[in-house]
Amino acid sequence: MASVTFDSIFKSFGSTKILHGISLDIADGEFMVLVGPSGCGKSTLLRMLAGLEEISSGHVAIDGRVVNDIESKDRDIAMVFQSYALYPHMTVRENMGFSLRLRNESRKITEQRVDNAARILNLTNFLGRYPRELSGGQRQRVAMGRAIVRDPKVFLFDEPLSNLDAKLRVAMRAEIKALHQRLKTTTVYVTHDQVEAMTMADRIAVMNDGRIEQLGRPLELYDRPANLFVAQFIGSPAMNVFDGVLKNNLVHGLGTQWPIPAGTTAVEGQMLKYGIRPEHLELAAAGVAAEVVVVEPMGAETEFLVKVQEQAFTVVSHGRAAAGPGDKVFLWPAAQNAHLFDAASGLRIQ
Amino acid sequence: MKRKYWNEAVLVLLAVPILLWTLIPIYHLFLFSISSKDSAFSGALWPDHPTLRGFGTIARQEHFYLHHFWIQIWNSLWIAVAVGVLTLAIATSAAFAISRLKVKGGRTVMNLALFTYFIPAAFLAIPMYKAMGVYGLLNNRWSLVLAMVTLAAPYAIWVLKQASDKLPFELDEAARIDGATPLQLFRLVYLPLMTPSMVAIGTYALLLAWNEYLYGYLLLSHEQTITLAVALGHFIAADDSPWELLMATGLVYALPPAAIYYAFRRYMVSGLTSGAVKA
Repeated sequence: MASVTFDSIFKSFGSTKILHGISLDIADGEFMVLVGPSGCGKSTLLRMLAGLEEISSGHVAIDGRVVNDIESKDRDIAMVFQSYALYPHMTVRENMGFSLRLRNESRKITEQRVDNAARILNLTNFLGRYPRELSGGQRQRVAMGRAIVRDPKVFLFDEPLSNLDAKLRVAMRAEIKALHQRLKTTTVYVTHDQVEAMTMADRIAVMNDGRIEQLGRPLELYDRPANLFVAQFIGSPAMNVFDGVLKNNLVHGLGTQWPIPAGTTAVEGQMLKYGIRPEHLELAAAGVAAEVVVVEPMGAETEFLVKVQEQAFTVVSHGRAAAGPGDKVFLWPAAQNAHLFDAASGLRIQ
Repeated sequence: MKRKYWNEAVLVLLAVPILLWTLIPIYHLFLFSISSKDSAFSGALWPDHPTLRGFGTIARQEHFYLHHFWIQIWNSLWIAVAVGVLTLAIATSAAFAISRLKVKGGRTVMNLALFTYFIPAAFLAIPMYKAMGVYGLLNNRWSLVLAMVTLAAPYAIWVLKQASDKLPFELDEAARIDGATPLQLFRLVYLPLMTPSMVAIGTYALLLAWNEYLYGYLLLSHEQTITLAVALGHFIAADDSPWELLMATGLVYALPPAAIYYAFRRYMVSGLTSGAVKA
């Protein structure tokens, strides 16, 4: 096990700058998720840690040792790829034992460790099969097995669940998390799926356009997003956001007035973005007038798509629908849970 | 359904003439080889007295032109196998270096090699003769082997490079992280996955050498060193050629390639086409 440090990492491909100075400390045993839209540089960052990508400038260190010039194979890391990257001509057993074979580990120890990993991952019955004879989820587990057999200092995951169907993805999510809780190996996990990030991470680094927008525990990001990007990226359905101006301790926007959280430092007359999460809006007897457009019953809760003037809002309420399409309703925002952002900079106003 | 039958009918209508067109010369070859010398040109579709005597004559080397038959077919075989193996070794390594290790300038080297195909091989024969003379390899099997490898390698490299471009790059990355050196990657991951293409290319090079006449004729001249293809050419030198023996020898000569094709037919189609088009 080990800590991982990224220190002012820059990366450019030719004249295209991909990463603009990333610094990030990952603690020993931590499950760190790098999340962001595609092209934000999260995979590049991971591949630099893996030694698969040159570092233009800055340092990457594993356990305090700078590894910039150390080859992948000597970094003591294991990586799980999106495409699984299993060797098609080897059985599951050979796939999982390959790294030990390359290290000239004795047959006995190799067998022991492969068997052990297979037991953890429920692969014991598949050891003699070839990758083409496995389902997507099984292949994914073999890829993880190949990683844990190594007992590496750091696990790297590069969008490992993207090729799986929705149901399997949820199941594998839990498996990976359980695996981490069992092995307690430092893990860096890259995904574009904020739900994966929220559910699995100890800490999340939200990346956008080659920068880290915010770093923190999942619920910190959810409750106190540092800027508009994080506010809208984290959370599903996404936060409702609209323009407004602060006047007399109320935000004037969409032809009406919205309450603000107590103790805000926003100043009179400031141009704002007002953000409120779907579950912090309530359909009530009084409040902001709105019209229901779509109702999506999910069983335990109901999602309403409503319109205030031309602005669309998502509202999530527990229980069953009390309104149908076309109905006039009133929205009641929970003021204490509203988020205010500076309209110009997009930064959160405390 | 109707449309399907119609398509099949068109295909059959096309296939039958093509099949006949291909098979009739081979049938003639066969016909000659089982005819006696007198009836060879009778024009009959089947000889009155078919005979396998010609094959016996060949096996026992009982004709002036066939005195060295066994050593000559051995030469052909030796050279063809050597060309196949050498071409494979060179082309596989080159394709690995260019496609997987991304060696700087690799593509340029490959394109330069392919550029040699702009010059007809026949024009290169004399320079090649000169070069082999300088190396003192004339009349030595190696001269033909080296010449044929030179001719086969560019195409072989190109096909294998295209085929290896199709292997997912993550496999190399996974192997590197697993701790593989480039050589281990080559041996344990790359070669097993390239086998189908390699079989196809090895066969291609082998057959190219097996069928070669011009270079064999130029570079090898002694009766004990020439290949069977060159020896067959000698048959025509006489005023009164023993056609039935020529054809019988030709048939024998055609059998190994046919056998190889048959054995590897699965690889030939997938291997050669897999390199031909970029998916």
